[in-house]
Amino acid sequence: MMEEPRIGVYVCWCGTNIAKMVDVEHVSKELEKLPDVIISRDYKYMCSDPGQDLIIKDIKENNLNRIVVSACSPRIHELTFHKAMEKAGLNPYLFEMANIREQDSWVHTDRKEATEKAKSLILGAINKVRWHEALEKRSVDINPDTLIIGGGIAGLTAALEIADAGKKVYLVEKTDKLGGHAANIDLTFPFMNSVQQMLNPKIEKVINHPNIELFLETRIDEAFGYVGNFETTIKKENEEIQLKFGNIIVATGLKTFDPGGIENYGYGKLPDVVTSSEFERMLKEGKIQTNAGNDPRHVAIIHCVGSRNSDFHEYCSRTCCMTALKYANQLRSALPEANIYEAYADMMAFGKGCEELYLATSRKNVTFLMFDQKDNLPKIRKADSKHNFEMLIEINDKLSGVTVDVPADLVILMVAQEAHENAKEVAHAVGVSMCGNAFYIEKHPKLDPVATTTDGVYVVGSCQAPKDIPDSVSQARAAAARILASISFGSVEVEVTTAVVNEDLCCGCQTCINVCPYTAISYDEEKQVSVVNEILCKGCGTCGSTCPTGAIRSRHFTDQQILSQIEGLLSTVLELEEA
Amino acid sequence: MNQLVNPELKQELLKYGLKEWNDCFHCGNCTAICSLTEQGFLFPRKGIRALQLGLKQSLAGSTDPWLCYYCGECTETCPRDANPAELMMSIRRYLTKVYDWTGLAGLFYRSKLALFIGFILVLIAVIAVGYVKHFETEALMKFGHLFEQLVILAVFGLILLPNIFHMFWLTIVKQKVKAPISAYITGIWHLIWNVFTQNRSLKCETGSFRWFEHFLIVIGYISLLFVTVFLNWFSTTNTIIIWLGYIVGGIVFVFTFHFIIGRLNKKREVTKYSHPSDWLFVIWLFLLGFTAFIVRVLIDTNLIDNNLWLYIIHLIVIAQWGILLVPFGKWTHFLYRSFAIYFAYLKKSALKRQGAI
Repeated sequence: MMEEPRIGVYVCWCGTNIAKMVDVEHVSKELEKLPDVIISRDYKYMCSDPGQDLIIKDIKENNLNRIVVSACSPRIHELTFHKAMEKAGLNPYLFEMANIREQDSWVHTDRKEATEKAKSLILGAINKVRWHEALEKRSVDINPDTLIIGGGIAGLTAALEIADAGKKVYLVEKTDKLGGHAANIDLTFPFMNSVQQMLNPKIEKVINHPNIELFLETRIDEAFGYVGNFETTIKKENEEIQLKFGNIIVATGLKTFDPGGIENYGYGKLPDVVTSSEFERMLKEGKIQTNAGNDPRHVAIIHCVGSRNSDFHEYCSRTCCMTALKYANQLRSALPEANIYEAYADMMAFGKGCEELYLATSRKNVTFLMFDQKDNLPKIRKADSKHNFEMLIEINDKLSGVTVDVPADLVILMVAQEAHENAKEVAHAVGVSMCGNAFYIEKHPKLDPVATTTDGVYVVGSCQAPKDIPDSVSQARAAAARILASISFGSVEVEVTTAVVNEDLCCGCQTCINVCPYTAISYDEEKQVSVVNEILCKGCGTCGSTCPTGAIRSRHFTDQQILSQIEGLLSTVLELEEA
Repeated sequence: MNQLVNPELKQELLKYGLKEWNDCFHCGNCTAICSLTEQGFLFPRKGIRALQLGLKQSLAGSTDPWLCYYCGECTETCPRDANPAELMMSIRRYLTKVYDWTGLAGLFYRSKLALFIGFILVLIAVIAVGYVKHFETEALMKFGHLFEQLVILAVFGLILLPNIFHMFWLTIVKQKVKAPISAYITGIWHLIWNVFTQNRSLKCETGSFRWFEHFLIVIGYISLLFVTVFLNWFSTTNTIIIWLGYIVGGIVFVFTFHFIIGRLNKKREVTKYSHPSDWLFVIWLFLLGFTAFIVRVLIDTNLIDNNLWLYIIHLIVIAQWGILLVPFGKWTHFLYRSFAIYFAYLKKSALKRQGAI
């Protein structure tokens, strides 16, 4: 039997944010009339220390066992009030927030109606909180080992960061060498540092590190488990190895776009049209020559090949503009007399030292041409024999409004960066979501750019979006720090507002398994019922609303709680008073 | 046929006073702030772009560079310090080479040595004539007067008129400007009015004093030419003509002296950058007025026979001016600018007829 509810209601002014549109004093007075509402108060700022102290004092003095705060969004202050409840010795789940700011005072202009709406919202919250149950927080132990998928610059950095802290790392790389795309780069923009000089010592260190177990030419199968306790099988040649680990870092990188499909550029047909990756190889070999073995006298660099165009990729590949400027500088050094052309759609020169690189490059007698990336791509054709150059590029130069022909002996296509074809397999294996461009989605684009919606799984480097080396490295180190923090804590708190299956009611239809976005539900063949893994479950409630027999109950959002809340929302104070 | 991008043109323009062309990133501030630019005649930005890409046809086919009077406001307000005003100036110098059928204008811009040799040759020739005439005052002065008339005829007939026709060909015929016939006639008033007043420059931010100074020099110069060549100033006994000559000669050398001082002080945008052709122009114009003035003073004081060398210097200055500087130097700016205004008038009439503006 549930104890008799003794409810405290607190109506916040939020300065004038709420008070100017809602008659908070009237609301709190009205609500005091309700049965089970022991105390109803209004206060300037409930979230302030005196505001919280008010709740704590009331709980202690009046023996309250349910609290409703009507203020802003629970997104902002639910945790604040949970802590206050704990301080007062009350289970924090015996609490409900009514949002009368974002959902009321900020969006309405009629004070009378806004006041009525505030009452309804709070009535709903009061009705719901009656049925709240005390829930206990749980935690799981963390396996201190970490799995890192991908041996590029991001994966290597994260591996060293964790291994240097004394923790074990399993580094899995599908190719036969480490270094990823960075290993193919000659110099980096904007400061022209040698990649080999920074990358080789890292690779050397990873190979010889006692805490890093390296698996080359290895692929990963599906990972099972939950934060702190994952396991998987990796395949190396014909050998299968079982690994157990507590956290996963996905650092699978990306690949370059194949420009063969863009007819205008004639890639594959014109021998002196090369991709940026191919040109990078020329630079590394120190030999910039046309297919016929001549020194090019006109070199044209075309930006945005496959990027920022709805036919290919809408997004900006982020590194190509600066790489193109780097090429112009390297070309100027290698071929001082050559004419260098940069055909761009927009120059993306954000980032430290990048605008400066643009300015410095523009002073090196480089001809910049601006074309329309949407409707008017440059068109490359072979030059007549009367010309003393190989190709002509027709460009509608936006800055002059004139369609011009640019002479070229060598054309470099700055190809887009795109997700791997097998990005989906990895996403499925570790349980991360993908955006429309098949890049992995981070937990929050601003505030949590390395974690994912699956606890314990982190995405770093360009598998999340095209990135330069410093950004990949920062992300890798951030993920490593997050993982080391959770390892040193030893355990991790998990969600308690999870779903539970009433085995007596479950018919075994498995509808819930199909809809669960967190793969938290499995099927018990023996009992023929669904089983919720409470560590993976985030309590989203999807299964509960799909379950045809009502066997799934979402803790903290039970049918009774929700229905009661709806009833409250639709009632008036008078009705509830009489009831 | 698309125009071919030609980065090498910029290298060529270095000879015409171009210094840096990369700073401009085409914000268009210069065009926005210019008080002379208008719909259909947008400058300086468009000209700078044509220069950056080396679009020879675009440059040669445009009258826009001549519509600028170099007030320098664009340069003062340029956020990139790209100096659009001086870029326009170097385009104008380059265009005098484009229009010139003899190729000498270009040669003198490209080679200071050739220019020097030209000046020396003229000097030797004048001294040689003096020698042939036994350094006799009357004979030399008679020759001088005849020479002036012949040079004017020859330079206009053989060089400047064909060049103006060439300019017409490039800017109107090749650009397919279809102006109504009436515009060709009404435009002539425009042309004459501008030749004498250059009053478009009054719209510039530099104010009316610069225009007035310029106006006085133009009027002074034309009058001096008229007084010496048609009224035969050095041989006349008519007091009015003598005094008129003194006044206009004085105006020319006093105000050109002020121009020279301005170029030395470099205080205003227009005087900050002086190409050799700018120096030659102002100094020779000064010498022209000054030596003419002195020669007439010597005639009036009956000292000319003992100081014939001064007349020979005057003759040398005139010959260098007339043979070298007028047809191939900065003097042509005066002519091309006036005709550019005429051609721009035709373009504008054509655009109006099309309903484009």
